[in-house]
Amino acid sequence: MFNDSDCLRILEQAMSTTADFAEVFQEVTESKSVSLLNGQVIRAATNYDTGTGIRLLAGTNSVYVFSSDNDIEVLLKLAKEAAAAIKGGDKGSIEELKALCSTSKATIEIDPMSVAKSEMVDFLRQSSDFALNYNPLITQAASSIACVKRTARVINTRGVNAEDTTNRIRLSVETIATKDNEKQSGRVAPGTMRGYEFINEYPLIDKTRECCDTAIRMVNAGYAPSAKMPVILGNGFGGVIFHEACGHALEATSVGIRNSYFTDMLGQQIASSIVSARDNATIDGEWGSYATDDEGNTSSDLLLIENGILKNYLVDELGGRRMNTKPTGCSRRQNYTYAPTSRMSNTYICNGETDPKDIIANTEYGLYCTQMGGGSVDTSTGDFNFAVNEAFMVRNGKIAEPVRGATLIGKGQEILKNIDMVGNDLLLSAGMCGSVSGGVPVTVGQPTIRVSSILVGGRDAE
Amino acid sequence: MDIKQAKKFMDKLVNAGKEYGFEECEACYATENSMSIDILRGEVSSYEHSASGAVSFRGLKNGQMGYCSTNVIEDASIDYLLKSAMENCDVLNDEDPQFIYCDENNKNLYYSQLSEDYDKNTYERFSELGLKLEKAILALDSRIDAVDYLTISCSTGPYLIINSKGLHSYRDSDGISLMAAARATDSDGSVKSGGHYWIGKDIDDFDMDKFLVKFSENLLGKMGAKSVKSGNYKTILRSEAFNQFFMVFFGNFLATTMQRGLSLLEGKEGEKIASDCLTVKEEPMYDKALTKIPFDDEGVLTTSKAIIDKGVFATALYDLKSANKAGRESTGNGFRGGSAVSEMPTNLVVEPGDKTFDELVEEVGEGIILTDLSGLHAGVNAISGDFSLLCEGYLIENGKKGRPVEQITVAGNFYDVIKSIKSVGNDIINVPSGEGEFFTPSVYIESLAISGDEE
Repeated sequence: MFNDSDCLRILEQAMSTTADFAEVFQEVTESKSVSLLNGQVIRAATNYDTGTGIRLLAGTNSVYVFSSDNDIEVLLKLAKEAAAAIKGGDKGSIEELKALCSTSKATIEIDPMSVAKSEMVDFLRQSSDFALNYNPLITQAASSIACVKRTARVINTRGVNAEDTTNRIRLSVETIATKDNEKQSGRVAPGTMRGYEFINEYPLIDKTRECCDTAIRMVNAGYAPSAKMPVILGNGFGGVIFHEACGHALEATSVGIRNSYFTDMLGQQIASSIVSARDNATIDGEWGSYATDDEGNTSSDLLLIENGILKNYLVDELGGRRMNTKPTGCSRRQNYTYAPTSRMSNTYICNGETDPKDIIANTEYGLYCTQMGGGSVDTSTGDFNFAVNEAFMVRNGKIAEPVRGATLIGKGQEILKNIDMVGNDLLLSAGMCGSVSGGVPVTVGQPTIRVSSILVGGRDAE
Repeated sequence: MDIKQAKKFMDKLVNAGKEYGFEECEACYATENSMSIDILRGEVSSYEHSASGAVSFRGLKNGQMGYCSTNVIEDASIDYLLKSAMENCDVLNDEDPQFIYCDENNKNLYYSQLSEDYDKNTYERFSELGLKLEKAILALDSRIDAVDYLTISCSTGPYLIINSKGLHSYRDSDGISLMAAARATDSDGSVKSGGHYWIGKDIDDFDMDKFLVKFSENLLGKMGAKSVKSGNYKTILRSEAFNQFFMVFFGNFLATTMQRGLSLLEGKEGEKIASDCLTVKEEPMYDKALTKIPFDDEGVLTTSKAIIDKGVFATALYDLKSANKAGRESTGNGFRGGSAVSEMPTNLVVEPGDKTFDELVEEVGEGIILTDLSGLHAGVNAISGDFSLLCEGYLIENGKKGRPVEQITVAGNFYDVIKSIKSVGNDIINVPSGEGEFFTPSVYIESLAISGDEE
């Protein structure tokens, strides 16, 4: 990492024209991973990367330059070029640099980077041994562990001098069931910012069995119907629907340029009154957490929606300038090759009061989605789509036959208002979120909820 | 870092690799220099410029290939690369051997295709064009509220591979891309969004009038869109939609996917899998392609070939490892993509038919045109071929393009769809994909299940 005086030289060069703000971001990332397929170790990889990004702002205009070469002369040249390219603005000044503040939200007993890959392989092999002997329908068992240690330092012209370290581990288990020409999979992929003890404590065999059971159920299942109907979304990764249909539309990235259906709606009812939601980056050891964001701000626990009323947007520095408001500590980027912007962390619908069993018992006919795939949303129109990986029909208040191949579509602004039951079984689930500043680790989450009506796109007309 | 310095480092690394105990080893250097501008509300809101490069090492020991990479290209990294790659070799137990390769007759492979016009790609030039384009989009129609996304970027990347068997392979490429999206308000107050893109090698080739016609259709064409009644429809997958659709399932044509039992095409080479009117070729040196690829990342020369020939599955794509397992030759499709070598396509071309798009529509008579598919990363089962996707497009009424359609899903199975292609159009578009581009026309599918909520 740079010393303070090198950083100051870069900032001085960057501020030599009309920029009112400049920032130096430097990053070191170490990663390692192993992947097994049917008990064979087919991949083992190791990587070490470093690089620097320099950002200049002049009002709402920005210039971003980056290099994988950390040589000070290379970076001074880039800073000079950036200064020449920035347009408009009132030339700002450079405040005195504060003492370095180092933070981490990771709570680690066993450093994953110190664990031998052979130990990871032995762990994963238990999963494939179990899966391949569990049921003759299971024909594939894949699994992997990936560990990433990232240290990111931010220095800017307001005197910010912050460094945040994150250690993340992601475990993935996927099994495939085959029947005739049909193949279906079951998958779990937990992520954590705890140490390798997370892996040691993980109920691998139970979870592998669940994957196998899902794959077997789905390979035997018929197609989901096509119709508008009540949809019950199971807890945990069911929260991806809130992440897509609401979370992205609350980011300054879209609100700041009025490209969101939630623009100018603070204080207004945007969801059913039984819905409250948060974006909380401060949870210890959680996959989507961090202590300091990629602009050097302290992370926060932000109330997004309270009893259906919109309370806060997710705001970064540039978005804050466009919206005339303060950043909320949610500025993130995949790595130094991206300028930062407003992103989600651990985003979830808060617990309600209903027992999930009562949600099913009170549904005469509908779809119960227990495993969601991914989805996407257009924040300007609200159009969203989600894939359902495992679902059951609900008939007369009871869980009935499993169905596959369902996609849920609709408008984000409508679905939030149609949530009519919220369970009390909140669960968070790890994922990766892709947006303009790259892929970042996030968790989605929710208790079991019911939406009174969603268009289910399946293959069978019912 | 310039390529000469990188080569020096790589020579040293490969020599040190042999001494370290690898039977054979290889180093690859990939760089990217890029520049981009964003236009927002009449200003250049963002400018980016970058230079990055990284070295990836791989070494062979006892048939296992260990990888390690870093972008810290200095002598101190050599130990780290060798040690980590060796550790990786030690935990691997892949049954199928891998190879470091060099064809004695093609040791020195060199192909440079950098455009002489690349120097035209300046901040000033891009800004001027971007600002002019934003104005022109806003002037298209008073219902257009804003251009929320307009970016012009260019990049260039030399690529060097050296190995202990004597291979010295150099290739490069460059290109420009322009993307724009806007939103407009419909008469009922609902918001519609749409956009268009352009890729090329010479910024002077950008035809703004042509771009605006397509842009306007992609945005204003959606005005008044609503859902349809659920049912089975005769369907045209317009060239863009067919491109997206086919690419999502392309992994099934790769030998490794088959050998792992993850493709239903396993064992079907030589069999009829699609309609007679579907021919898909891989043309590494396709004259209309921006990037030509004479050899792959394993040092194997590429060749042009049919993947699907008049409905018959002619060949899968192989790299050295999967070819060895199948007891045949590599098809020159071993590329590094992320880090490890795996099969990737170069330039893919779906052979066009005789009919124009309008003639296809006329042939359908009554049905639906799908112009865009959403959620392809989630709404498909790449193995079984099942899909259920949010989409939009137009109705076809009396052999003519009718009203726009939105908030519908299309569901079916990839293998059924390619069997039920009735006609192929001649309206080819190209989209970057794999190592090159994918060229596709529109196709007419006999029947697809559409879900909508109109009564």
